[in-house]
Amino acid sequence: MRILSAVALSAAMATGLAFAGVASAQDAAPPPAPFQKVSDLVALPDFIPGLGELFVDPATLPAGPFLAYDHDGNLAATVYMVPIAALEDGTAYTDLPLGDDTVTSVDVMYNAGHPGVEEPHVHVILYHGEDAKSRIAE
Amino acid sequence: MILTRREALVTGGAIAALATLPLAARADGPVIITMKGADNGARVWFSPAGLAVAPGTTIRFENGDAGNSHTATAYSPDIDDRQLRIPPDATAWDSDYLLPGDTFEVTLTVPGVYDFYCRPHEMAGMVGRIVVGTPDDAGFAGAAADSDDLPDAALAGFPAVADILAQGSVEGG
Repeated sequence: MRILSAVALSAAMATGLAFAGVASAQDAAPPPAPFQKVSDLVALPDFIPGLGELFVDPATLPAGPFLAYDHDGNLAATVYMVPIAALEDGTAYTDLPLGDDTVTSVDVMYNAGHPGVEEPHVHVILYHGEDAKSRIAE
Repeated sequence: MILTRREALVTGGAIAALATLPLAARADGPVIITMKGADNGARVWFSPAGLAVAPGTTIRFENGDAGNSHTATAYSPDIDDRQLRIPPDATAWDSDYLLPGDTFEVTLTVPGVYDFYCRPHEMAGMVGRIVVGTPDDAGFAGAAADSDDLPDAALAGFPAVADILAQGSVEGG
């Protein structure tokens, strides 16, 4: 039993470290694959005022998560882009991953569309840090 | 004919009708239509949405939206098999995606009504209408009828031809 507990503890510690490793890998731009820079995928500016520099795993489109970085390459927000028509049709977006588990505030706003998500949709922006919004504002 | 540096020239016969057009339509240089967007991306639009010009006028589309890319694309079967909403003798154009600060020019010579849209924002109603010349011009092609090919938001976005001719320039709603 002690051996099993020790093994379990080791596994838990190892898992914890692994999670920490993944989180830290996403803390700075560019995040690891399969994330790709949004402006390399579609015709959008490298830095979008209000959203920062975005990265996404194309397999998760349209909802994301999109990881949003400030001018210094630090993770500032996790963004989800949810098509309104899909919601009306009953599509649910559940268990979406976070870029960071520290969320200081959330913005929800309508967006008319843009390359990549070309239909009216909702931006759900989870900010990671009290100053995160200002860091990606312009 | 699409030229380099995202400039285009649309050619065709035309007779200028300067005497009946508003002064704003007779500019010597390109007439500007700006692509705009609200800071939070909630609204996007062409400014102006309606414009009257003399035949031979060059239109310059400028992306003034810092957070988005836009196109100025003529409605034509020649581009994505869309409804013809430009004069039959005119040449369709597509600016391709313009990033913030990018520009695209097109010269319109065939009299008539030209409807255009922004590819990623048509569903949001980002459309515009240019009236070249006046209905008195020979061969003037009037506005196309409504079609199921266009989303409701786009159909609602075209200013009336009469308003454009009367005012010269019409902002969207």
